[in-house]
Amino acid sequence: MLTLFLLLPLAGAVLALILPKEREQDAKWIALVFSGLAFAVSILVFVRFDPSVEGYQFVDRFEWIRAGDAGFSVQYALGVDGLSAPLVLLLGLLSVVSVLISFGVELRVKEYFAWLLLLETAVAGVFMSLDLIQFFVFWELELLPMYLLISIWGSGRKEYSAMKFLLYTITGSAFMLVGFLVLGLQAGTFDIAQLTANPPDDALVPLAVIFWAIMLAFLVKLPVFPVHTWLPDAHTDAPTAVSVMLAGVLLKMGGYGILRIALPILPEQAQDFRVVLAALAGFSVIYGAVITLRQQDLKRLVAYSSVSHMGYVLLGVSAMGAVGFSGAALQMFTHGTITGLLFVMVGLIYDRTHTREIGEMSGLIHRMPLIGTVMLLAGLASLGLPGMSGFVAELTTFLGTFDAHPAATIAAIFGVVLSAGYILWMVERIFHGPPTERWAHLPDATAWWERTAMGALVLFILAIGIYPALITEAVESGIAPIAAIVEAGA
Amino acid sequence: MFLPDIPEAAVWAIYFAPLASFLLIVGFLWRRPLEAGRLTIFAIGLSWVLALWALDTSIGLDGEPAAFEPHAWFTLFDLDISFGIRLDGLSAVMLFVVTSVSLLVQVYSTGYMHGDTGYSRYFAFMSLFTMSMLGLVMASSLLQLFIHWELVGLTSYLLIGFWFHRPSAAAAAKKAFIVTRFGDFGFLVAVVLIWVKTGGVFDIAEINELAAGLSAALLTGFTLGILSGAVGKSAQFPLHFWLPDAMEGPTPVSSLVHSATMVAAGVYLLARFFPAIEAAPGGVHTTIAYIGGFTAIFAASMGIVMTDIKRVLAYSTISQLGYMVMAIGLGGYVAAIFHLFTHAFFKSLLFQGSGSVNHATGTFDMRLMGGLRHSMPITFWTFVVGSLSLAGIFPLAGFWSKDEVLLDAWHEDKILFAVGVAVAFMTALYMFRAIFMTFFGEYRGGEPAESHGDAEAHDEHHAGPHESPASMWAPLVILSIPAIFIGLVAFLDFGVLIEGAIPEELRHFEGVHVDGVVLVASTVAALGGIGAAAAIYFAGQPSPDVLRQALGPLHRLVERKYYVDEVAEDGAVRGFLYNGAGRAAAAFDRVVVDGVVNGVGMATRTLGDGLRRVQTGQMQAYTSLYLVGVVVAVVVLFAVSGDVLER
Repeated sequence: MLTLFLLLPLAGAVLALILPKEREQDAKWIALVFSGLAFAVSILVFVRFDPSVEGYQFVDRFEWIRAGDAGFSVQYALGVDGLSAPLVLLLGLLSVVSVLISFGVELRVKEYFAWLLLLETAVAGVFMSLDLIQFFVFWELELLPMYLLISIWGSGRKEYSAMKFLLYTITGSAFMLVGFLVLGLQAGTFDIAQLTANPPDDALVPLAVIFWAIMLAFLVKLPVFPVHTWLPDAHTDAPTAVSVMLAGVLLKMGGYGILRIALPILPEQAQDFRVVLAALAGFSVIYGAVITLRQQDLKRLVAYSSVSHMGYVLLGVSAMGAVGFSGAALQMFTHGTITGLLFVMVGLIYDRTHTREIGEMSGLIHRMPLIGTVMLLAGLASLGLPGMSGFVAELTTFLGTFDAHPAATIAAIFGVVLSAGYILWMVERIFHGPPTERWAHLPDATAWWERTAMGALVLFILAIGIYPALITEAVESGIAPIAAIVEAGA
Repeated sequence: MFLPDIPEAAVWAIYFAPLASFLLIVGFLWRRPLEAGRLTIFAIGLSWVLALWALDTSIGLDGEPAAFEPHAWFTLFDLDISFGIRLDGLSAVMLFVVTSVSLLVQVYSTGYMHGDTGYSRYFAFMSLFTMSMLGLVMASSLLQLFIHWELVGLTSYLLIGFWFHRPSAAAAAKKAFIVTRFGDFGFLVAVVLIWVKTGGVFDIAEINELAAGLSAALLTGFTLGILSGAVGKSAQFPLHFWLPDAMEGPTPVSSLVHSATMVAAGVYLLARFFPAIEAAPGGVHTTIAYIGGFTAIFAASMGIVMTDIKRVLAYSTISQLGYMVMAIGLGGYVAAIFHLFTHAFFKSLLFQGSGSVNHATGTFDMRLMGGLRHSMPITFWTFVVGSLSLAGIFPLAGFWSKDEVLLDAWHEDKILFAVGVAVAFMTALYMFRAIFMTFFGEYRGGEPAESHGDAEAHDEHHAGPHESPASMWAPLVILSIPAIFIGLVAFLDFGVLIEGAIPEELRHFEGVHVDGVVLVASTVAALGGIGAAAAIYFAGQPSPDVLRQALGPLHRLVERKYYVDEVAEDGAVRGFLYNGAGRAAAAFDRVVVDGVVNGVGMATRTLGDGLRRVQTGQMQAYTSLYLVGVVVAVVVLFAVSGDVLER
């Protein structure tokens, strides 16, 4: 089933590419059908996932090189647990949303949708890989479509931003690869489950160095201060759908990697550096939020708010305990839906106003009540209002981290005041005030694909906010073994 | 008492009825405003009836908590989060207050908001607010309380900014949310702190029980965090400055949210955790009492100089909330809730009176009113009743509760007693100043330009001021009854009912007793205030202009609200946060962090110049090359490592 999830978008991409030129508009429907099927598979995986079973489920495994006497293997291995199952669901959801809000794209349509679908496959591979080498291959595969999507279909300084994104990630992943190789060769296996069960206690290079080599890639991806500056540029210049994917699922690769690989394989090193991680996290939350306050570009504002909000993920991680990890896992999911929705809304607004300058917009809600309402809803979710999923995640993170890192947690809690500041200030400036002549003829969100995209995300945000048990059971089953290993490393 | 004990489902129905109303309006009645209004009234009416039942049950139990089991919300490792109902004397009284005032305000709103284009939206928000407020009051868990605390904050935001096309309303809404959230920061820290340090307790009763055994430092941190939330929500100094701006919302909203219920939630919160506060070190008590006392006199001074009738009432509300907070700090738990109880009725009445005046004149500026006692007799007389009650004139409701507060001050802290008496004088002064300016003298013409919201809905202004419709004056008349009589509940074991919510050893209310000194002091102060107002604003001896000249800079200082808004907005937010820290961080991000990145990039490019011939300029090629390289590297490494491992 997981292989199906992996290959469906790829098949769609190939199909879209071989379309004859005169039928290139059909690429949209092919993309929708294939990402929709993948979404259906991801729902099935999430629903049929059994939290009471230990270990990975729906495992698909094929060994290229058998373990044998050599003591290591090269394998194709997919599986999900309670940590990855929600992220697979998130990926399925946001891919459909991304396709939907791309229905207006008219430039090189076939390629655009092919790359978008390939992106889904790459990220799916990251979330489902049970082998380090395979994980790495998918991690790198994601770069190709991202680079092209930003540099061809983007705006502004798109080449600069795309290159920056690429170089940042490659630098990080080069170190990660070294780390993986040292670990794998030492242990004689690249199988994540085996490495987790028998983590190496020594290697050619000090394990602390390995830890940071691997963490660097993940921290860049998350991102966290001071390796975050690729994010605002990439977001600002990327097309809407790519921003949605970037904020919604690509950033989660970083948090996922930390929880799946860095922590359980190197628990003692993680424990040693917990204070550093907490300090980085607390600082990122405040630093990101303070910079967000100053943004004049709507998209950049949402982008910088991501730096702040992803700080919560690292904060939860730094607790080195089950509740904190759960907070991080929940924050990844909820941030994906909430910030995904914010970028959708920013895109819809930009499509109409053709500007992202906050100062130029005013009183938009008179002409776009639906867009305004959904944007306010997304903003409230983003500032952690109870009743929406962000609150559950933030609360869990705070509760799980306070005991270990009171100062960093209090700093992070102060972040919710700042987020209220930038969100409400933005809402006031662009939506409120008297109707203006300049924006008197803007249409609201009327197209079915726009409404479906918004509705799906709102549904997830509210459902989890009101009834968190929908997701907490899975998260608990995924976090429990990881927390047990990490806590034992103290 | 009269009825069988209320079942749990019926208490939940108090909460779910307005929620259902909200959902139905959003789902089906968006374009059917009249039905939206009626549904809201019906739903809240249902809640009111059930709240009466709950009150009856609680009286039967002498205010002791009814036994309801909590229900799980979600569990996640150590997190075991459940929600339930805490029905005791305190919450039963609050349920009664919230549903009663809300019900009357909704009826009033059908008149006041008549013809507004956002009529359905208005009632949807009002339903949502009422639900949130009821959820806050009946919560058995601290987290549950906090969640609804935030939701009332949201609905307050939506209702203050109801007429969002006015920039001032949009700004006021944002300000209210952010300033109160500043207080909520401390509250949330307290929530997290107590959960972590008690090993996972959110249940309010349990926290209060455990309090005596907790360390002084922990209790201090927790209670100050709670206080921080209360200071924000109940508009206490230094977070008081959002409330006057909140008057930008429709007047019925001010009457319900910003006088009777939500702003009292801070006092309720302190009362809810009264046992924990009592167990905390003395410094906490002093802090609470002096914040309240200072706020009371500070706000009252501004109430005297405001020319906008709603702002007078707003500062009055802040001042009266200060009384309540002060009472809590002095250990006067019953006095605080008693004053909250009476205040809800007469202040709601006064706000609705100001709305009625606005409905007739199109302005809130008292300088443009005058002489309205002839054209609006019902509004006038009910306003006088509310003012007398607020001023604390025997035997109206406000007299009894204010006397309890002052009595506690008299016994505990003579300085705060003196402050309290001074506030009583100032209260009477500003209220009767308002009455004389609004209802006496000659009508000064009103000002339709300053009209609230959709001015076109009030085209009847042109015919000169006249009494408001029955849907508006009827609630005024009904509210006058509690404004006069409800203080007498003190003789009906109100204290017993309220004290049922706290442990026996903390109960020390001995029924109503009138202390000679307190009685004389407060009555003289109140009558003095009325006399002074009459002298200045009715007889003109000395005239207000002369006084203003004489006071010069002092008057200006007070009129400019002690420049607190400027310090907070221009200084702290714009100056420090936005232009200071924000600019510095943004510059650091661009120049230093990104500078390093770009620098490395440049250096690499220079180095790479030698390899230029390989560069085809096509990213596809680079990436493919890179991938191939990776695969080769991996294969090579496998081969090498295989040897290593075999050795």
